[in-house]
Amino acid sequence: MRVWSSEHVFGHPWDTVIKAAMRKYPNPMNPSVVGVDVLERSVDSRGRLHSHRLLSTEWGLPGLVRAILGTSRTLTYIREHSIVDPVGKKMELCSTNITLTNWVSVSERLVYTPHPEDPGRTVLTQEAVITVKGISLGSYLESLMANTISSNAKKMGKEILQIYLPNITKPLTQQ
Amino acid sequence: MNSVGEACADMKREYDQCFSRWFAEKFLKADCSGDPCTDLFKRYQQGVQKAIKEKEIPIEGLEFMGHGKEKPE
Repeated sequence: MRVWSSEHVFGHPWDTVIKAAMRKYPNPMNPSVVGVDVLERSVDSRGRLHSHRLLSTEWGLPGLVRAILGTSRTLTYIREHSIVDPVGKKMELCSTNITLTNWVSVSERLVYTPHPEDPGRTVLTQEAVITVKGISLGSYLESLMANTISSNAKKMGKEILQIYLPNITKPLTQQ
Repeated sequence: MNSVGEACADMKREYDQCFSRWFAEKFLKADCSGDPCTDLFKRYQQGVQKAIKEKEIPIEGLEFMGHGKEKPE
């Protein structure tokens, strides 16, 4: 099992970052997400928005890894539950894979909150738990996936939202 | 961005645009007035539900027609 976590600060207020985060796919830095669908959406009695989404991803696993796994499938599905509290200013996302569960479990949690000392900034804390089950080279595969998640997160933190943040007031023309 | 159901890409786009507008202009400003996207979501969901069944994607425990309903926490 491998646990990875990080923290990033955006130089924008929480509302702005959340609007960008809700629209972060597609993005050229994380081409593995090839489809996003909303399965359910509702507002709870506390005024928080719950969204359940299905993400279609192409892992882009190297050929050697696919050979080890004995699979030619590369399209996997992830289920994501997010909660946005507009009054408490907190957005939390939890996601986990729902296919390939016989050999891997990847769970991620992201939390966006205003910076405690500066309301003009936003803190993102992110953690992932990766477990590869029951095959040789499990540790190697866990490292590979952790590195991918870490690399994507760094790009997400530093570049993706920076791409979207200046454009956040423009209308959606294609998503 | 694609949908899991290729046939519902247009409905998805319409719904996403409606949602993004409502989210930024109403919800984040704690405006509790009605959700204008319910009908769009229902139509989009029909396509998604069909695609999920066809592709046998293992989704459990969701009511596919749920949108905007108040739920317990």
